[in-house]
Amino acid sequence: MNKAISKAIEFRYRIEKDVLAAMKKPHIQYWIFLFISVILFVTGMSLWYYQIKTGMGVSGKTHPVGWYMYITNFVFWVGIAHSGTLISAVLFLFRAGFRSSFNRSAEAMTVFAIMTAGLFPIIHLGRPWLFYWLLPYPNERLLWVNFKSPLIWDVFAVGTYFTVSLIFFYVGMIPDLAIARRYATGWKRRLYSFLSLGWQGTPDQWRHYNRLYMFLASFATPLVVSVHSVVSWDFAMSIIPGWHTTIFAPYFVAGAIFSGTAMVITLVVPMRKFFSLEKYITLDHFDSIAKILLLTSLIVSYSYIVEFSMAFYGGNIFEMEVFRYRAFGDFWIFFAIMIICNSIIPLFLFIRKLRRNIKFLFISSLFVNVGMWMERFVIIVTSLSRDFDPYAWGLPSFSTVAIGITLGSFGMFFMLFLIFVKVLPILSITELKEVHE
Amino acid sequence: MNRRNFMKFLGFITGSTFLSSCGIDKGLRKIISYAIPPEKEIIPGEPLFFNTTCTECPALCGIQVKAYEKIFDTERGIYPVKLEGIPDHPINYGTLCIRGQASITRLYNPHRIKDPLIKERDGVFRSISWDQAFQTIISEIEKHKAEKRYNFFISSRTTGSLSLLIDEFCHEFNIKRLPEFEIYNYSAIRKANSFLFGKYSIPHYNIKDADFLLTMGADIFETFISPVSHAVQFSIARKNNNLKWFHVEPHLSLTGICSDKRFTINPGTEIYLLIYILTSIQKRKISSNIPASVGQLIPSLPLDILKEKTGLKEEEILLIRDAYLNSKRPLIITGGVSTRSGSGFEVAVLSGLINWASGSIGSLVDFSREENYLRVGTIEEFVNFLKTIDENNTGLLFLLKTDPVSIFPQHLGVKEKLIRARFKVSLSDSFNETTKICDLILPLSHSLESWGDANPRRGLVNLIQPATKTIFNTKSHGDIIIEIMKRKGKVVSEDFKSFVMSNYQKRYGKDSLNMFIEKGFHEENPSPVRVSFNEENAQLFLRKLKYPEAMKTPLLILSPSLRFFDGRSFDLELLKEIPDPLSTISYGSWISLSEETAKKLNISERDELEITKDQWSIRVPAKIQKGIGKDIFIVQIGGPINYSGMTDPRSGEILSYIEGINIRKTGKNVSIPILSGSMSQEGRGIIPYPIHRTENNKKHKESLYPEHKHENYRWAMTIDLDLCIGCSACVAACYIENNVPIVGINEHLKGREMSWIRVEPFYDEKDGIRFLLMLCQQCDYAPCEPVCPVYATYHNPEGINAQVYNRCVGTRYCSNNCPYKVRRFNWYPHEWEFPRDRMLNPEVSVRQAGVMEKCTFCIQRIRRAHDIAKDEGRSIRDGEVMPACAQTCPTRAITFGNILDKNSSVYKLSKSDRSYRIFEQLGTEPSIYYLGKRRGDE
Amino acid sequence: MRRSLVLATISCYASIFSIIFLSIGYYNYYHDGPPIQPIAFSHRIHVAKVGLPCNFCHVYADKSKNAGIPHIQKCMDCHRAVAVEKPEIKKLTSYWEQRKPIEWIKIYKLPDHVYFSHKRHIKKGVECSQCHGEVQVMDRVRRVRTLKMGWCVRCHRVNDAPTDCLTCHK
Repeated sequence: MNKAISKAIEFRYRIEKDVLAAMKKPHIQYWIFLFISVILFVTGMSLWYYQIKTGMGVSGKTHPVGWYMYITNFVFWVGIAHSGTLISAVLFLFRAGFRSSFNRSAEAMTVFAIMTAGLFPIIHLGRPWLFYWLLPYPNERLLWVNFKSPLIWDVFAVGTYFTVSLIFFYVGMIPDLAIARRYATGWKRRLYSFLSLGWQGTPDQWRHYNRLYMFLASFATPLVVSVHSVVSWDFAMSIIPGWHTTIFAPYFVAGAIFSGTAMVITLVVPMRKFFSLEKYITLDHFDSIAKILLLTSLIVSYSYIVEFSMAFYGGNIFEMEVFRYRAFGDFWIFFAIMIICNSIIPLFLFIRKLRRNIKFLFISSLFVNVGMWMERFVIIVTSLSRDFDPYAWGLPSFSTVAIGITLGSFGMFFMLFLIFVKVLPILSITELKEVHE
Repeated sequence: MNRRNFMKFLGFITGSTFLSSCGIDKGLRKIISYAIPPEKEIIPGEPLFFNTTCTECPALCGIQVKAYEKIFDTERGIYPVKLEGIPDHPINYGTLCIRGQASITRLYNPHRIKDPLIKERDGVFRSISWDQAFQTIISEIEKHKAEKRYNFFISSRTTGSLSLLIDEFCHEFNIKRLPEFEIYNYSAIRKANSFLFGKYSIPHYNIKDADFLLTMGADIFETFISPVSHAVQFSIARKNNNLKWFHVEPHLSLTGICSDKRFTINPGTEIYLLIYILTSIQKRKISSNIPASVGQLIPSLPLDILKEKTGLKEEEILLIRDAYLNSKRPLIITGGVSTRSGSGFEVAVLSGLINWASGSIGSLVDFSREENYLRVGTIEEFVNFLKTIDENNTGLLFLLKTDPVSIFPQHLGVKEKLIRARFKVSLSDSFNETTKICDLILPLSHSLESWGDANPRRGLVNLIQPATKTIFNTKSHGDIIIEIMKRKGKVVSEDFKSFVMSNYQKRYGKDSLNMFIEKGFHEENPSPVRVSFNEENAQLFLRKLKYPEAMKTPLLILSPSLRFFDGRSFDLELLKEIPDPLSTISYGSWISLSEETAKKLNISERDELEITKDQWSIRVPAKIQKGIGKDIFIVQIGGPINYSGMTDPRSGEILSYIEGINIRKTGKNVSIPILSGSMSQEGRGIIPYPIHRTENNKKHKESLYPEHKHENYRWAMTIDLDLCIGCSACVAACYIENNVPIVGINEHLKGREMSWIRVEPFYDEKDGIRFLLMLCQQCDYAPCEPVCPVYATYHNPEGINAQVYNRCVGTRYCSNNCPYKVRRFNWYPHEWEFPRDRMLNPEVSVRQAGVMEKCTFCIQRIRRAHDIAKDEGRSIRDGEVMPACAQTCPTRAITFGNILDKNSSVYKLSKSDRSYRIFEQLGTEPSIYYLGKRRGDE
Repeated sequence: MRRSLVLATISCYASIFSIIFLSIGYYNYYHDGPPIQPIAFSHRIHVAKVGLPCNFCHVYADKSKNAGIPHIQKCMDCHRAVAVEKPEIKKLTSYWEQRKPIEWIKIYKLPDHVYFSHKRHIKKGVECSQCHGEVQVMDRVRRVRTLKMGWCVRCHRVNDAPTDCLTCHK
């Protein structure tokens, strides 16, 4: 009896130790990664400055291709943001045990991804210094925003999503912060004690906490669907052949979860390795998350088929041209990459061995990330460059600035994530305790 | 701290805060008050109008200059902002062509010559004062007089007082005045007319009275004599007597495309067809004015020879013949490439004979209104003159507004020959090959800065009056010559203005002078001219008539350019910015060839080709185009490429054919800005054939959004594709009216042109080449409107898709969502540096970078109309408002008005059975109605 | 103790100063302070004392977009006789004698993207003073309205004048 208790306590300490070990003095590799991502981020920002100074022309957009890499990135990052909520909130509601080993990093990822995504609508504005005109606020001009415009819906959708996921992320962290406080010293101690909002772990604190967490989880779940639906309506609401379809909402949501899950794997695999968390993030966990990946991949591939067959059976001359062009036109290579990455490679996950093979999983997740970026790019560019009036057909032009800013966004994302792993507990200690008892 | 420091502190703080609170001046602008009011009252903010003459090409249309008073920091002046035709001018009837519209940019061209320049020993030009310039000229004249050298005066076509003045000038200084040098001198036609009718002149063609028109090679809408006049008359004839128009040409020209039916004939074989038509008129005994003595000499050609020579199909030949015979008032016009061939003279004579036979001479071919080409010489004459120049005998050489050096290819050594003259004075407004070799350059004022008159044709005088003070240190040609003569003590009159006025008074008396200045032109009914038919010559001609050999392929045809005329308009940026309507290429030159030719020589688009013939050679990128004959290559002259310099001794014309050229691929791949994404309609029924009938104007689809309520006005436009000739005048007009920026070739290569209105050529169903005018369709359910997050674009109560430039944040969503892709984004800031800033239309704001812009149906004009209507307490009348495009359209293809008014012409036309709207199935409900094009056989 | 006292005084003093001057600066920034004109023309004298109507000098106010300002000849019509010895009038006469245009400094200026017509407002019976303030009490005219969009729109709404963007935006 006594022994049992002491064993349990000892075990708890071990979990805390292992998890918080990650927050110890960083390894040299860490610094290298951080340095690279910071460099990328800084170059990205300075390129943006250059773009504002010289004019939108440098971003390679043309007439008729008015949207290009920036909107691609926007959609891509919003997509990435999804898995966070999915894994933590939805799986929490479904009581999926394996969740606890991913949720923290997934949530962090969500927050950072939205921060990155949120930049792009501003970057792609012709006059970014006036971005606040998109917000409905009483102003001296007595003007209002146009609520018919999907772009305004975006503002709200993304805004809401960011707020909620930030709160969810933070609330989930409070007990762990309290633990971290116990181990930390100096300014860190002060920081954690401030952040943990005087958490004592008393029973009724726990009671309230659980209620709140449950509530937030159920509140966040619909957002998984809504946000990306709204983003997809940027396209679906328009008249452009190749955009103007009804399946866009589910299609985009699936795609978002797909890419998000992939990104989780991409991040967790190295994390697990560096901080030797094999004990807590086991193969079973990977197995089950790989299943999600497989499922969503199938949904996405299905939507591809649907799109094409709709164009084909619809017999609308404009639609048919766009989809012919998408597959065999100037951007066929992008299309091919997209198909290979999103629809073919994930099929291997039907094999159990591969699902449990970390290396393969990691690599395929990278492919999926690329594939999903391509998907958005292909949808946006091919539809725009071949719309109604043949005279106005045209191509975008190559632009280093756009590419630089795109890389910059990746830099920003990884920078934030790397900082996160050092300053905050990367796994949910309390939940691990629950699970492992 | 002691008391002192304390004080210091206080002082320091006081001072610094004081400084920080001032310096709030926000770039104060000035208002300048006149010392004395100008004699012509200027109401600030209201436009002024001057009637004057367009001198961009020899057609000399009458133009109305719209000018505004503007203030630039401390100077207050009047500056022209737009040119429009004088409403009742007998040449252009209120319309203007692309070059005429662009002519205003010549005034504000920053590359103009700004001061008199003299060439130093080391060959660089140094600017001098006008005084020095005149002194040098005088001293030079004296010198060469002493040394007994000849002096020469070459000019491009001059008319009216200027011509008289030059005569006096030449006489005064015994300078030999040479025949005027024009590359398009129509000498074949003039010679033929003198040969047949004893009149060495170009008649006025009354197209508007004809009911059948057969044109051969004559590019009546590009450069031929008076393009605008032809276009206007064409549309009148279409409306009044339902003109039928066939065009026969060896190459592919704008004119050809616009005709009802276009026949591609083997180069240089027009004669066969002409003779055939002549014989068939003869055979039908009735109503041939040709006396039997001549008639019997006309050879009769068997059809099969005709077929194999001309390459025309039998039914085509018969179609032309019957059309000619069955029409009451047929007219045949030959010219352009057809008369610039070895058999040019014969072609001209035969067409003269046909016109005589069918009794068109005198009525449709009007010699009493003959074009004023009296002083214009032939290329032959010029070439002969070149032979005579040499160091010892040639002293002074005046070159007035002419550029022979760049017109003739290098290997002919025109440059070398001209250099031989001791002292060369060039009067020119911009630098060109000829000014380079001159010793003294006198900068000419634009006609908008100077006084003068013009005499385009018999019985018509135009006034040239200044609309602004000279922008640079320039003088008008008239004033320069008068000044020189003054220096010599010979006072013709104190300045050119008074000279012009006195000339006018001499001819028409004093009383009508003010009228003349007000109206800008004076027309009198010219005394009728009797034309007699010269039988002997006709017989002689027919006896000695020999048939030309087929031309050797591959053949290069040098065709005139719509945009650059003979190259004189090439230095206008705007004309380069606007694409050529046939190829949609804006900047640079190209060579067009048919697909099969390309396949044969495996040439692909944008390949650079080297075309050589003897010493003559050019390098141009290839452009594959439908509707061109086999093994035929077409290059537009003007600008970098020009004629080969070969001339035909009999007609004295320059040859526009180069036979048996050899083509070599240089292997380079030149990027040329082809603005069209696809030359085909891709079967989208944009220009439907057969024409949409009413079934397409079906009930409109239900919309989620509430119906727009248009109370009094709903502006709409109809575009008659049957009249649209793709001349691009509207595009130029739009550029000028709306301050549309010129972005240059690099942006064009990316497809970022800025034009709000464009001419889209579509090459479809068996060479059916059609032009479509595409501008903002001002839809009722405009896809651009709901997507704008900030209401920068919205539907205004009068049905216009408004675009509020300074509200736009630049999401470009509207442009993406526009099915017609007519919105333009400002990718970079545009500089309007001096003197271009003077040209800006104050009624339209200048858009800054990052903003979307588009056609607004010229809202500023609508606003002005409202203003006037309100003052008079009425509503706007039909036809009172005209957007720039509609206003300048030479064929009046564009009609604009309020479609709620059941009596408006727009309403009536929109209900026509030809009317349709583009992409109607999208339910955007455009307010631009197109009237489908008829075919020749309809 | 003493030291801190001194510092306190200084800081108080400084803050008071900066508040005063910054507020003046702010005020001036939003209502341009009356600029110094080449000739100290006084609207007070001409309107209040002499009693000239606005359109006596600004003749185009009801004819055109711009109200226009008088040419010197007009000024001289009176000032050949009136108040000739005054220094400012001397200035005027010197301008006149040299036939030199006067460069007045513009006070009411609208941005390039705004279309405004005096004529329309006058014809609707809008008083000059509604926008230009009580010039008859100003020796040196200064701008009394922000000329910002909201200000225009409010007035347009009150007098149900058209509020379509294209009425004023070009």
